[in-house]
Amino acid sequence: MITPSVLLIGLFGLVPVVWAFILSFQHNDLQTQPTWAGFGNYREMFADPTFRDSVKNTVIYTVLFVPITLALSLLAAAALNRKIRGITVYRVAVFIPVVTSTVATGVIFTWLLDPEFGLVNSVITKIGLPRLGFFADPHQALYAVVVMTVWGWVGFGALIYLAGLQGVPRDLVEAALIDGCSKRGAFWRIQVPLMRPVSGFLLVWLTINALQLFDEVFVTTKGGPLHATTVVVYYLYLQAFSFFHAGYAAAIAVFLFVVIAVITFVQLRLTRDSSMSGERP
Amino acid sequence: MGAVSGRRRRRGTAAMATLILMGGVAAACSSGSGSDGGTTITVSHGYTAVEARAIKAEAAQWNKMHPDTKVNLVFNGGNDSALQKTVAGFQAGNYPDVAYEYGSSAAQLAKQPKLIDLTDKVKSAAMNWNDFYPSEREAATVNGKVVGVPALVDNLALVYNKKLFQQAGVALPTSSWSWQDFRTAAKKLTDPSTHTYGWAYINDGSEDTVWRFIAMLWQAGGDLLTPDNSKPAFDNKAGLAALTQLYNMAVVDKSVYLDTGNDNYGNLFNSGKIAMLWTGPWDLSSINSDVEYGVTYLPGYNGDHETISGPDLYMLFDHSAGRSDTAFKFASWLTSPKVHLQFAIKTGDLPLRQSETKLPAYQTFLKKYPAEKLFVNNLNNVKHVRPNIANYAEVSTAVGQMVQSVLLGQAQPAAALKSGAAQVASALAGS
Amino acid sequence: MRRPSGWHLVLIPLAILMGLPLIWMVITSLSSIADTRRFPPGLPSSLHFANYVHAWTLSPFARWLWNSTLVSVTCVVSNLVLCSLAGYAFARLRFPGSRIAFFGILATLMVPFQVVMIPTLLIVKHLGLVDTLPALVAPNLATPFGIYLLRQFFVTLPVELEEAALIDGAGRLRILRSILLPLMGPPLTTVAVLTFLTVWNDFLWPLVVISTPDRFTVQLGLATFQSAHFVQWPLLMAGTVISQLPVLALFVAGQRFFVSSIANTGIK
Repeated sequence: MITPSVLLIGLFGLVPVVWAFILSFQHNDLQTQPTWAGFGNYREMFADPTFRDSVKNTVIYTVLFVPITLALSLLAAAALNRKIRGITVYRVAVFIPVVTSTVATGVIFTWLLDPEFGLVNSVITKIGLPRLGFFADPHQALYAVVVMTVWGWVGFGALIYLAGLQGVPRDLVEAALIDGCSKRGAFWRIQVPLMRPVSGFLLVWLTINALQLFDEVFVTTKGGPLHATTVVVYYLYLQAFSFFHAGYAAAIAVFLFVVIAVITFVQLRLTRDSSMSGERP
Repeated sequence: MGAVSGRRRRRGTAAMATLILMGGVAAACSSGSGSDGGTTITVSHGYTAVEARAIKAEAAQWNKMHPDTKVNLVFNGGNDSALQKTVAGFQAGNYPDVAYEYGSSAAQLAKQPKLIDLTDKVKSAAMNWNDFYPSEREAATVNGKVVGVPALVDNLALVYNKKLFQQAGVALPTSSWSWQDFRTAAKKLTDPSTHTYGWAYINDGSEDTVWRFIAMLWQAGGDLLTPDNSKPAFDNKAGLAALTQLYNMAVVDKSVYLDTGNDNYGNLFNSGKIAMLWTGPWDLSSINSDVEYGVTYLPGYNGDHETISGPDLYMLFDHSAGRSDTAFKFASWLTSPKVHLQFAIKTGDLPLRQSETKLPAYQTFLKKYPAEKLFVNNLNNVKHVRPNIANYAEVSTAVGQMVQSVLLGQAQPAAALKSGAAQVASALAGS
Repeated sequence: MRRPSGWHLVLIPLAILMGLPLIWMVITSLSSIADTRRFPPGLPSSLHFANYVHAWTLSPFARWLWNSTLVSVTCVVSNLVLCSLAGYAFARLRFPGSRIAFFGILATLMVPFQVVMIPTLLIVKHLGLVDTLPALVAPNLATPFGIYLLRQFFVTLPVELEEAALIDGAGRLRILRSILLPLMGPPLTTVAVLTFLTVWNDFLWPLVVISTPDRFTVQLGLATFQSAHFVQWPLLMAGTVISQLPVLALFVAGQRFFVSSIANTGIK
């Protein structure tokens, strides 16, 4: 039953990963004959200040992006879980950012957040707040990227949570309401806890994606200003395709892989309930 | 019991289905393109819009004249992706015969075993190698080896909005402006209340940020690296002068719009929000018709109005003797005086060869693109070229960070120079 | 007559915030090039519907759409089938190495594509598929995400549903088809939409594996409206709007399906 998928993923998924693993032990510029580097790439990596910065940036980004997106997705799903007129339009609208290409998203946010001419600054200066630098300010750029990507992913999270909410049996909620529970209480005490597997799934999926952030940085800040938004995958890309240190880039990828694997394992354990073990006689 | 055999049968069926699917897919795939035999060559390029139409016309012309050595044009996904696609292509055995590449990619691709060394080929009289402007020939040469045929040449000049100057009562720029004149004018043209700036600078830390700085560095008598390309050479008076000028304009006078990408400055120029740009012929076609603009040489340092040029190349890769031969013939034809002038008239690209400016059709070019006359003359102001080394990308990144930190007011020029030089030194040492 | 819900006050601003890019794309697509070359951007002086016609006719747009659709639909169908089978097997069947295999599959999600791009290209080359549409399909026939999602879904379904049928001697495949399939609306729809989206919007893989213009996907084709220094914004946006519409349409159809399929669920 699973053979075809396993074969395919084995071929297209695992083989390249193994190749990348081997590559990390080489000095390879993708053009000429590679030479053996042993652990050289790894030693260089841990001594590289830009790499350390990229790890720091990635961690800050993930720690902000994941919880915010989860929370906003849940709230959006709650708002969309109604039978009011036009609800389909709202649902489609919320999903638009997910469908929008990264190029278009990048251009739009670069314009919105332009320090001089952007819409956001013209609004906030009118209400008396100071002008912000957003993508142009090394201390704000990463947070601007968080805002942009949260906006881009909330629709996805909302879709998944919406499916989850609608999967919660109606009678449980009704019983609670009859017992005197408020609608809000029923939401937080009954529906949300029952969606633990959904939350668990989203947590893992969003974290894996956050740790691999690349596209949005590529189309806006290109890792800048002054490496403020250089995240691990962006740095890896730079090393592989601008500097042609493919072996070094592979070492970074292996490091990232280990980190993601550990975090995912921990998350799966934490959000596990009895139905997660998946083994049935 | 029934369940077990059922499961096995199901697994078997699924496995069969997959194999059939993959077999069918492999069989259904076409016989592949870019086959080794035959004499058709593949030319990959990043031309779009007007230029794409022009190159298609040229290829059609060639194909009519040479029906048995045809040229097949292939779009490379955009020049920004060209290097990546070419390198990936070598891995898959799926690379073109001729590829349009940025000059900055030359040193990297020079290492490619399949690259055709053109050093001897270009010595032929027909090629007239010395007819190409010096900066192009230098960009095409890596460690004494000629690695490509020039495809495009450009340079930086001062483009300004005449109306803004008139409104501010500032005298129009001249070809003998000094850095001080430039700074003074920019300050007068800046008006925070209307969000108007005297100058725009691309500050994304990329080569765009770097090469404008390099022009200033050269004007001040300095250079990026030592002649043997082994050490940084900009941590001195010349470097300090250049960075201090940038610091004074951006941080002290606040007369510079710092573009975080390379899109906004053009649009702002069109909207009358920026008075002066340091840019090249490629931007002229984006200037709206309601903007009256002028072009002059870059402001100079001690009378030196040197500028910088960024030539791109056609690089040739080996498949077979027959195809390499066709590839070279095509590249030479495409860049020959009459043919290239024809292309230039259609697209506004600058002439590649000095002899093009002597052809009668050159007058047609000048009439169509009057503003480009100065850019052509400016080619004579190109005295230096950027180092053509494999790890230029790392050097560029380090220098880009340095310039960016000064423009953002995050570092003082002297300190930035020191740390920039240290970064470049370690980039050159490592690798 | 029911009073309009107060929720509209929340949903409208939310919808506008989220829909802003589409609105901007449409406005830009109807502008002239000169309009788009101003900053800050404003409304166009007149509506240039011709941009849509140009985007369609000045380039093999129809061909690109066809290629993208063929590739995306194939991947969706294949994923629906293969991921359901695999997801079910991982959820219900106990076999040696299942945990390792599952983590192995999940592990492939943890390496960014930029790294595995080259080896994937090499594999495709050895299969003789370089520069063909099947090359775009092959790596996406069964995505780890789909298997993960469906496995999670099956794990949350109560086993009782299948127990009766199992006792009666029905095979797993039969159970999947007759008992579970009607319940699988939501996860299947999610896998379908997301697979479609990922394959439809992919740029990097088609870039490195396809050279022949006739075989470009829409995303690769749209790159022909951009160049290093000059982006033809109106054409690019007209093209982008055209290319995003199928995905949106799929989503609209999909989300309605999932709502109705949940309503018909017989879980009691």
